Amino acid sequence: MAVEIVLPRLGWTMEEGTLVEWLKQDGDPVKPGEIIFTVESDKALNEIESFDEGVLRIPADSPPPGTTVPVGTLLAYILAPGEAMPTGRTTTAVATTAAAPTAAAAVAVSSRRSGPPISPRARRLAKQLGVDWSQLKGSGLSGRIAERDIQAAARAPRVSPVARRLAQEAGVDLSTLAAQKPGARLSRQDVEAALAAPPAAGESAPLSSLRRIIAQRMGQSSRETASVTLFTEADATELVALRQRFKEALGPRQQWVPTYNDLFLKLTALSLAEHPALNASWGEGAIQMHRQIDLGVAVDTEAGLVVPVLRQVDRLSLQDLAEQSAALAENARTRRLKPDQLQGATFTVTNLGMYNIDAFTPIIDLPQCAILGLGRIALRPAVHQGQVVPRHQVVLSLSFDHRVVDGGPAARFLDTVRQYTEQPHLWLGR
Amino acid sequence: MRELTFTAAAREALAEEMAQNPAIFVVGQGIGKRGGNFNTTTGLYDLYGQERLADVPISERGFVGMCAGAAMTGTRPVVDFMFLDFILDGFGELVNQVAKMQYMSSGRLKMPLLLRGCIGVGGSSATHHSGNYYPIFAHLPGFRVALPTNPYDAKGLLKTALRTDDPVLFLEHKSLLNTKGPVPEEEYTIPFGQAAVVRQGTAVTVVAFALMVRKTLEACEQLEKEGISVELIDPRTVAPLDVDTILESVRKTGRLLVVDETFGPCGMGSEVAAQIMEKGFDELDAPVRRVYGAHTPIPYSAPLEQAAVPQVPQIAQAIRDLVAE
Repeated sequence: MAVEIVLPRLGWTMEEGTLVEWLKQDGDPVKPGEIIFTVESDKALNEIESFDEGVLRIPADSPPPGTTVPVGTLLAYILAPGEAMPTGRTTTAVATTAAAPTAAAAVAVSSRRSGPPISPRARRLAKQLGVDWSQLKGSGLSGRIAERDIQAAARAPRVSPVARRLAQEAGVDLSTLAAQKPGARLSRQDVEAALAAPPAAGESAPLSSLRRIIAQRMGQSSRETASVTLFTEADATELVALRQRFKEALGPRQQWVPTYNDLFLKLTALSLAEHPALNASWGEGAIQMHRQIDLGVAVDTEAGLVVPVLRQVDRLSLQDLAEQSAALAENARTRRLKPDQLQGATFTVTNLGMYNIDAFTPIIDLPQCAILGLGRIALRPAVHQGQVVPRHQVVLSLSFDHRVVDGGPAARFLDTVRQYTEQPHLWLGR
Repeated sequence: MRELTFTAAAREALAEEMAQNPAIFVVGQGIGKRGGNFNTTTGLYDLYGQERLADVPISERGFVGMCAGAAMTGTRPVVDFMFLDFILDGFGELVNQVAKMQYMSSGRLKMPLLLRGCIGVGGSSATHHSGNYYPIFAHLPGFRVALPTNPYDAKGLLKTALRTDDPVLFLEHKSLLNTKGPVPEEEYTIPFGQAAVVRQGTAVTVVAFALMVRKTLEACEQLEKEGISVELIDPRTVAPLDVDTILESVRKTGRLLVVDETFGPCGMGSEVAAQIMEKGFDELDAPVRRVYGAHTPIPYSAPLEQAAVPQVPQIAQAIRDLVAE
């Protein structure tokens, strides 16, 4: 029995997606749970796994990778060995056979009339001019595509829907791009290239959608929170020694060596467990105390700042933590984060140590109530056991929202972080 | 060019044809000495006397049947109903005899019968004197139905009617009778089945009937200021109906509105819409829309009477909506 593989709906508002890449090829055997292809939605790149076992067959009329198609578009079949590929779709039904591991299963109903409503006159003109109207929107009161819409589409540069949306969000002028590539269909890559190109001096750079979101959220936090930043200096000599031992012990065994960031994430989570007042959110008329400790980890990417979330960090082993944070950071850089990996942090850790920054005043990511900034770990003269000696020192910067929590609890929390930084044996066994 | 009223232009056509063709005679109430309730025959009694301007008793079925017989035997009767509503009292004779006689006789008998009367809503004429009814006659095989909308057309179409061998309904809208327009002194006729493009435009085609041509024209003037270019078509005859001219216009505009004073169901709008969909589906950029009168007897009350039929603002809005569709 042939199982249809369709473009899944990865979120309720998704109408279309781009088939990016087949990870299994035509004729390959597939098992349940194996990733068969990737789909780019507006938010992320998603890996789609098979729910069935059989042979993957990609029909000749399947959309080629790189094309954007409506949700529910037939992409392939999973067949029993030796079974012939069906000719045309046999059912009006429902394809629930493939879905992203984390997203709700897609329910796609194929209907005989696909695409938006269009007037007969517009349809005829579209055929004459070779305009693909399946993605157009009608301009009139009824939303029906009319002749004028086809004429406009024929005049307009050919642009993929994803590129059009991206350009619209980022304020990129498509006609300028089209003039640079006459006759070509503008793709997402073209728009991204235009965005990435540094503006010449005196020119203004269009805003990317990520930039807009960052601007909106940072501005909101800056306006709304009663932000206070506390600084304290910690002696990280023991922590540096600990990491060195991990490196020596785990490196040769091909295991994940925790980074400084991982060590700080872990000890921050354990400090939060002791000071739940800092693991809280500002809400409408109430302060939400969180049961879980889910840490946002600020990652600097080419496109801008993204903050993926590590769940229940207080309960993760260092090994798991190291592995998960490495995967998240990598996915953040390659834009493969799934929407739910970017939401729901209860506290954020941000690290500028690699840029030789000692201390700074991080901005709280609303609705969280605090954020911990990590500076560089550097050898400095310090008083240790009555002697001035070189020690590995680090400055910890804690910004907290005074609306939610007072200076005392915040200071006590930061002091626990300092203590755990200086004496890893206090928490290493937990 | 000289200007005549609608009524005067039609009367001139009748007078000229009566002068040329002694077989023409008129029957009706008050069409003799009195000159007709709507002055359709003023002055003709003095020329031709009661033999050719014969006042008859109020018995529509009787004088319609009599005139049918007269027409078959070589004369050319003109039945003047005053108000077209009264044609319904001769309806059986018309449908079963008049409209079928040429077919039944394999063309050996002719039926050169002119049926005229005033139609339409206006002046608190109330429910028995406001009928339009032309879609009924357009529905039946055998009739020709002319709906002149200006003095020039009234004269030209009535002349054609008085020269054809088929039964013709010549229908004059009450609210048009006193309108004036240019009418040349020289001889002319207007063939049936030839629509007039009253106004050229590009955004939308409007087909309007009888008084609605004038009302739509008023709407067009407003809309022109808003930048909406309307092409207005007056079919002039509804049987035969000049679908080609409408289709040609829809080829240009892609949008069609039909404005008719009378009822919507099975009306001229339905007919035009159906024919354009059959012959020009691919020309349409939006569904065909209709504006038509309320499906109700016409009230006596003047405000209600006006509310029962399309008015200029309503037509203008329908055009705006269709263009924005």
